[in-house]
Amino acid sequence: MLVFAISDKGGTGRSVTAMNVVYRHALQGNDACYLDYDLGSPTAGAIFGIGAAARGAREGGLHEYLRGYRAEPLRLDVWAESDREALRARPPGSGRLVLLPGSEGGGELSSVDEEVVRRCAQLFGRLDEEFDLCVVDLSAGRSFTAELVLQATARLAHVPFRWLVFHRWTRQHIIAADGLVTGADGLLDVAARFGHDPDELRDRIRFVRTAVLEPGAAELAGLRDEQRAWLSTCDDELRELARRHGVGRTAMLGRIPLDPVLQWREQLISDEDVLASKIANAETAAAFDDLARKIVDDSAWEGL
Amino acid sequence: MPVMGEVHTGLLQNSGEIEESACRQVLALTAGETVRVSRRPIVHAVSPDRLTGVDCRLPSATQSRVRGVGTVLSRCAITGGRVAQGSSYVRLTRAEADRRLPWSHYLARPGVVEVLGKAKARDLADGFADDPPPGCLDLGAISGRFLDLAQSSPLLDRRAPFKVPRTRLRWVAESGEPAIRFVLRSDRTRSVLVVHDGAFTPAVADLCEDLALHDWLLTTLLVLLERARIGAVPGPEAAARLAPAVDHLLHLWMPAARLGDAMAPYWESLDRRPGFSRQWQSLVDRVRDQVTVNTLALLSVTAEAGRRRR
Repeated sequence: MLVFAISDKGGTGRSVTAMNVVYRHALQGNDACYLDYDLGSPTAGAIFGIGAAARGAREGGLHEYLRGYRAEPLRLDVWAESDREALRARPPGSGRLVLLPGSEGGGELSSVDEEVVRRCAQLFGRLDEEFDLCVVDLSAGRSFTAELVLQATARLAHVPFRWLVFHRWTRQHIIAADGLVTGADGLLDVAARFGHDPDELRDRIRFVRTAVLEPGAAELAGLRDEQRAWLSTCDDELRELARRHGVGRTAMLGRIPLDPVLQWREQLISDEDVLASKIANAETAAAFDDLARKIVDDSAWEGL
Repeated sequence: MPVMGEVHTGLLQNSGEIEESACRQVLALTAGETVRVSRRPIVHAVSPDRLTGVDCRLPSATQSRVRGVGTVLSRCAITGGRVAQGSSYVRLTRAEADRRLPWSHYLARPGVVEVLGKAKARDLADGFADDPPPGCLDLGAISGRFLDLAQSSPLLDRRAPFKVPRTRLRWVAESGEPAIRFVLRSDRTRSVLVVHDGAFTPAVADLCEDLALHDWLLTTLLVLLERARIGAVPGPEAAARLAPAVDHLLHLWMPAARLGDAMAPYWESLDRRPGFSRQWQSLVDRVRDQVTVNTLALLSVTAEAGRRRR
C-alpha cells in the first residue's frame, strides 16, 4: 500500500504525523517505510533521530535517484541508525522501519519529464513488493512532486494507493484542504489529466485533522465560561464549514490532538514518552496508533 | 579474464502461483522469440536473452579507470509459477583495439564486454564484489529492471500473499582448480565465487541462478518464521502466520534440478558446508511441527467440547 501525505499549507504537522504513523505501523508488526518527497526541505532524518541525515542524505538521496545519478536511493534502517535511545532497539514483534531520505541541498523539482516518472514508478513498484506500508510525504501545496506521483501511480495499475490530506482545525485550513483536492489544478483536476478516474480517486482520499483542541481537553480547564462557550460556537461553525467543503466527519480518517511535545519538538512519540517520562499524552499516541491501523483497513475506506 | 553476473530474486507479484501458459506470456519480452519451459521436476520458464549495450567504467578494487565496451546478456525466469528472477552477466575479454569499434562488432559477441587499456583480472573481480560506484557498470541495475519487467506484467494481480524483499546475488567465475565460495554480505546481498575447470560455459550462470533461487527460498522462509513469533504469540496465531509458507514456498526446493553433471559437485559442496539443504529441512520440519502441534491442540479442544456436550 502506498500512502501519499499532503497538505495545502505548511505547518500542519503533516510530516511529523506521517512519520509517527509509519513508526506505529512498524510497531504493529508490519514492514513500513517512509519516503521523504518533501524535496525542498528534506528533514525527515531529524525527526527519526538520524543525525547523519538530519538535513537529508549527503549521498544517494531520493533526488539523486530521481535524476538518474543513482541506480537505487539510499535506505536507512531506523532501528539501527537512530541516535535516539528509545528507537535504537527493534522491539520484539515489530516490523522493519526504513527511511528513504531526500538529498541534502536537493531543492524542489522544477519540471517532470518522462525519465523521472519512470524512475518514480519503478521505485514505488519495488517498494510495494517488500513493504506493507510506504508513506510518501509530499511538499505542501500544489507541486511538481505531487504531479510526479500522480503520473507514476497512473502507470502502476495494480499497486494500491491512498491519499491523506492533512489540515488544522481552522477556517483557513478547512477551505484550503478542500481547494487542494477539488479546486482548479487541485489533485482531482491534475489526476484526471494523467489518466486517473476522478471519482475513483475521490474514494482514495481522506482527511486528517491535526493539532485538534478537543472541547473536553485538559488544556481548556483554566478558561473562563465565556471563552469556553465561544470556543464551542467556533467548533460548531467549523464543523458546518467542513461539512460544506466535503472535509467533514465521513471523509475524515483520523484526528490528532494538540500535544505540547509535537508543538515544541517534532519527534516520534514512543511508548516511553507516554509511560515513563510522561512528556507526551497517551491520547496522542493512541491517535497515531489508530490512524496506523485505519490507513490499511478497507472498512475505513468504503466509498463515500 | 573473469565472468561476472548478478541475479535478483523476488516473489512473483500475484496472489497465487501462475500457470505455465501465463509464465510464457509474462516472459515474452521479445516479440517472435520463444520462452523456454522445462516441466520436470518443477516448472521453470526462461525468457529469451536480451542484450544491453554498455560503454562505461568497470568497477575496480584499486579505483583505477578501466573502460569496458560491449553487451550485457540478461534474462528473466519464473520458477514454480511463484518466484521471479532477473539475471545478467558479462564475459570480460581484452580488446584488441584501443578504441571503440562499430556496434556490429559487439553485437556479434553477445554478453562480451571488451576491456580497453590495462587492467588486472583480479582487480576487476574484486571491484565487482562491492557495490558499484556511480557511473560504473552496474549489472544489478540491469537485472533489477528485467525483474521489474516481469513483475509489472498486466497478467499479474499484484496481490502477493506476503511482502518480502528481493535478494541479490553477485557472482564472479574464474578458471582454475574447481571451488565455490558463498558469502552473505548483508541481509539482501550475497556474493559467490565459482572457480571452474577450463573455459566458461553458460552452465555456470545457470548454477548461480539456481543458487540465488534457493538462497531466496531459505531467506524468505526465515523471514516468515521470524514473523510467526513462535512461542511469543498464541499457537493458532503463529500457525496462521506460517500458512503462506506452506501454501507458497515449501514445495519449491529442488536444488540442482536443471544442472548438468559438471555443476553438481558445486551444489554438493555447498550442501556439505554451509549446508543449504540441511537448514532448509530443519526449517521445513519446524513449520510442519508447528502446524501439527496446533492441529492437535485444536482437536483436543474440540474433543473436550464434544465430551461436555454429552
